[in-house]
Amino acid sequence: MNNLTSQQRKFVYLGAILLLLIPIIALGMPSDGTPNSGGSIARLRQKLDLGESDLGDLDPSGAAMNLALLGLRGVAANILWMKVDEQRNQKDWAELRITTDSIIRLQPHFEKVWEYNGWNMAYNVSSEWDAVPDRYFWVKEGGKFMQRGVERNRRSSYLRWYVGRIYGPKIGLSDEARYFRRYFRQDPDPRFKNGPDPEFNANDEDNYLVAKRWFQEANDAEANGARQNIMDRSIFRSYPARSQLDYAAVLYKYGFNEEYDREVGDRTLTNDEAKALEVRVREKLKEDTRAAWALGLDDWTRRYGQELFSVEYLPGVIVQMRLEMSEDELQNLGKTPEGIAQLRRAVDQYQKMNNYRYWRTRALCESETNTAEAHWSLFAAGEEYLKQNTAEAQEFAEKSMELFEKTLEKYPELRDEDNFVEEALKSVLIWNKVLNLRGTKPPETFPLKSLWDAKQAMVPEIERRFERDSRSKN
Amino acid sequence: MNFDSVPFPLDTSFQLWLTVFGSATLIVLIVSLLATVASLGSRGLGVFANELGAMLGDFVSISPRRVFALAQLTFREAYRRKALMVFVVFAILLMFAGWFLTSSNLQPEFQVKVYVSFVLRALSWLVLPVVLLLACWGIPEDIRLRSMHTVVTKPARRLEIVLGRMLGFSFIGLLVLTAMATVGGFWIRRQLPAEAQAQLICRQPISGELSFRDREGNDKDEQGEALKQGINVGDIWLFHSFIEGATKARAVWTFDDVGPDVLDAEGNLLLENRFQAFRSHKGDMKRSIYFQYIFFNPETGVRAPYDLKTVEENRGRTDRIPRKFASVSGTGGITDRKTYDLIEDLVTKNGQLTVEVACVDPGQYLGMARPDLFIRTTDLPFESGYIKAVVCIALMLLVVTFIGVSVSTFVKGPVATFLTFVIVIVSYSARDFMGTIIGDPDALAKAKQYSGMQEMKKLDGGGVLESIYRILTHMNPTTELPAGPATAVMKTIDTGMVNFLWLVYRILPNFDYFTKSQLYVANGFDVPFNPSVLGCLMITLAYFIPCVILGYFALRVRELEAK
Repeated sequence: MNNLTSQQRKFVYLGAILLLLIPIIALGMPSDGTPNSGGSIARLRQKLDLGESDLGDLDPSGAAMNLALLGLRGVAANILWMKVDEQRNQKDWAELRITTDSIIRLQPHFEKVWEYNGWNMAYNVSSEWDAVPDRYFWVKEGGKFMQRGVERNRRSSYLRWYVGRIYGPKIGLSDEARYFRRYFRQDPDPRFKNGPDPEFNANDEDNYLVAKRWFQEANDAEANGARQNIMDRSIFRSYPARSQLDYAAVLYKYGFNEEYDREVGDRTLTNDEAKALEVRVREKLKEDTRAAWALGLDDWTRRYGQELFSVEYLPGVIVQMRLEMSEDELQNLGKTPEGIAQLRRAVDQYQKMNNYRYWRTRALCESETNTAEAHWSLFAAGEEYLKQNTAEAQEFAEKSMELFEKTLEKYPELRDEDNFVEEALKSVLIWNKVLNLRGTKPPETFPLKSLWDAKQAMVPEIERRFERDSRSKN
Repeated sequence: MNFDSVPFPLDTSFQLWLTVFGSATLIVLIVSLLATVASLGSRGLGVFANELGAMLGDFVSISPRRVFALAQLTFREAYRRKALMVFVVFAILLMFAGWFLTSSNLQPEFQVKVYVSFVLRALSWLVLPVVLLLACWGIPEDIRLRSMHTVVTKPARRLEIVLGRMLGFSFIGLLVLTAMATVGGFWIRRQLPAEAQAQLICRQPISGELSFRDREGNDKDEQGEALKQGINVGDIWLFHSFIEGATKARAVWTFDDVGPDVLDAEGNLLLENRFQAFRSHKGDMKRSIYFQYIFFNPETGVRAPYDLKTVEENRGRTDRIPRKFASVSGTGGITDRKTYDLIEDLVTKNGQLTVEVACVDPGQYLGMARPDLFIRTTDLPFESGYIKAVVCIALMLLVVTFIGVSVSTFVKGPVATFLTFVIVIVSYSARDFMGTIIGDPDALAKAKQYSGMQEMKKLDGGGVLESIYRILTHMNPTTELPAGPATAVMKTIDTGMVNFLWLVYRILPNFDYFTKSQLYVANGFDVPFNPSVLGCLMITLAYFIPCVILGYFALRVRELEAK
């Protein structure tokens, strides 16, 4: 080489460059958008749907940042994660929000980043605030953040499920559920004029119904091949139906006050108007809850219950099963006596794991008119008791007791179900309190007496909760 | 956030500077003398004395005209090198900043913080690399291109070259910064959402001293020391200390120099707090935790509780206390209602106002630190704090320029750039860590907040060699090392290394003062002259003098022919 002249050396370099260009072009030529165009890497990217635009919406600012960092994206992301941690400890929320946004611009397709930071805002940051509206703000921020994650990662089932968790249990089951649910449709931010935040609840729906849609989307994505490693598949796929059931259940708990207040709005009602509205709302909710439970039953047994799961019942023994299986289906799918026995055991185990039978019975019973009537009579009894309208309270309580007794006669397995039993016992409790107020001694026999006697251990706790709820209503 | 503004320790800082500067000068002089004597024998003494004399002569015969001419030359040179192109980068950043900044959903005060921090950070991080590169490459390039020869053959002295370079680079840095800061200031005003514009202010707080009383009402601990902390509720960052609700626990602030002049135009005392709330049970969720101000005059024993207020956690709340207010006190259903004049009845003769803060809700806790309650006097316009923050950034640029020019007189451009860059980065990120290794009280006090408020001391386990020995022999840090010559040697070397680290720690600039000024204005506070502006000014001066001397000395002894 040393014997070559400068010009010869340049030709050698040029030759080497051209030679190296061949594999580079073969591998890295960009695609023109048509199928099978571009180099090997571009074709592989198309095949595996790994192109930026295939994964989700494009983010020009994130791409600009990544280019500017010249390959130091990982280092920058690590530093920012450490900063987020420090900012959280120092309660520097404004900076935390910006740093979080910077991280996702660097790592838009790393789902864990979205999940971790969204969760951090909705659960950890929100709990650092004392005022409930502030807590709700951060729950919304977490939810919106994760939804942006879904836009950037369109195929993800995992992120959709987490969005559903924020809409469902975070808003509906936390300590602040009473307020969060209300804010979900009447945002405390004055900009939304007592309506919902359109970015978070565009269609002014119940939180559990929005959650149900997200869980359904997660299921659809999972069915299209997006893997989830959060939990067993049979549990993962139960969430849309569970959300419907949760929605039905929560209507008993918060539905009346929420609906009543929405109806009243800024108006001031006379006593008669208020009473008429109360009756109207109760009647409406009676039908709404019954319909919600009926739809829940349908979702649970006809949709979720009919899904085919491939489960490894014993090591190496894989069986195909549904949670809702008739004897004929068991025989057909099991084929051999041994296979049928295995399948029967597998179905039983999975039904227990998902609490399937309980929800089926509950939904079946709650979707009946009598049960809805029993619940809403109990609710009316409680309201009238608080207003010291003892005659009406007694009437509603007795009606509720009779209806609960009929339901328990029809579905005796519910005698061991705490939530249902609690409702039934509460009707007797209110009835006792009303009689006490009226100076009347309870008769020897009354509806639900056997349940009342058998479950005496539960009564003090039910009474404590009833008193606490009554105080908070006052 | 920690906005505790402890005054800049002028006297101790000056003493420390004198110690470090004096020792370093002495070491250089001794080493130079020894080197001269070693190379020239007894003649070296005379040469050394002559050189020293000439150097001192250069200092007394500086020509401002020549320095200014060199500074002009430097400015033109930097202009030709397209230093002003940084404007373009800044303009692009501002144009697309909306993409990177968070949504307008955040609370107004947070939005202000986001926008102001962004502009101030962009200012410092864009101009800093420009001046760093210019400062580090100026003199080495002059030497390489031999343009230095044409200057040194003129009457210009090498000291004037160093000063001229520093002045020129400082001037271009300041020009760029001023232009960018002006654009940035307008951008904040224009870009900030309308609802957040009202938060664009500079509060002027009067801070007090904080002490605590425990749940039994004691203001001293078992050792008889005044209680300076409340309860730890398990926060990782133990900046805030908590008091228990519905007990005798109190946080007690004492404000000095309180008179009618601190009241607002309507005669109200504005008390602003940033208390934290901690619930040990759910309690009443419809409202935040209640607290109460109790004004106390220790001279007369008058205690005047004020109305109950709710905590506005992470936002802060301002309470207007009228000069004359009715106070209701008493227990067991017997209440006493009296009207007090805040200044006449509750401020002591020497102008001291004591405010006790009580948490009212049983089982709940109220958290606070010294800067979490202050008297808010008349707000200044946002621009007042913004300008001061920009001044602090400008002073930081000057420090980097001085270091860069000084370093570039004894090493080549790339090395000077690398060295200055390392000094800046280490000063920013690792100075506190070094402080905990050498046992610096300031660094230990900072580390204390992350250590469960335990008193911090120098890290256990010894220096480098001792640590290696302990790791290899699986010996824990509290076990004594076996006595012997090896241990003595090891400890001696480690001590030497730690002492060297002490010197490095002291030489590295403390950028805390420069960055904290940005935090003040981003959080809606005026930048206090002391410690922020004064601290930055003193640090800049402290670096200017040794950097000039070092640069001059290095350039004087440097062989200019060596490229």
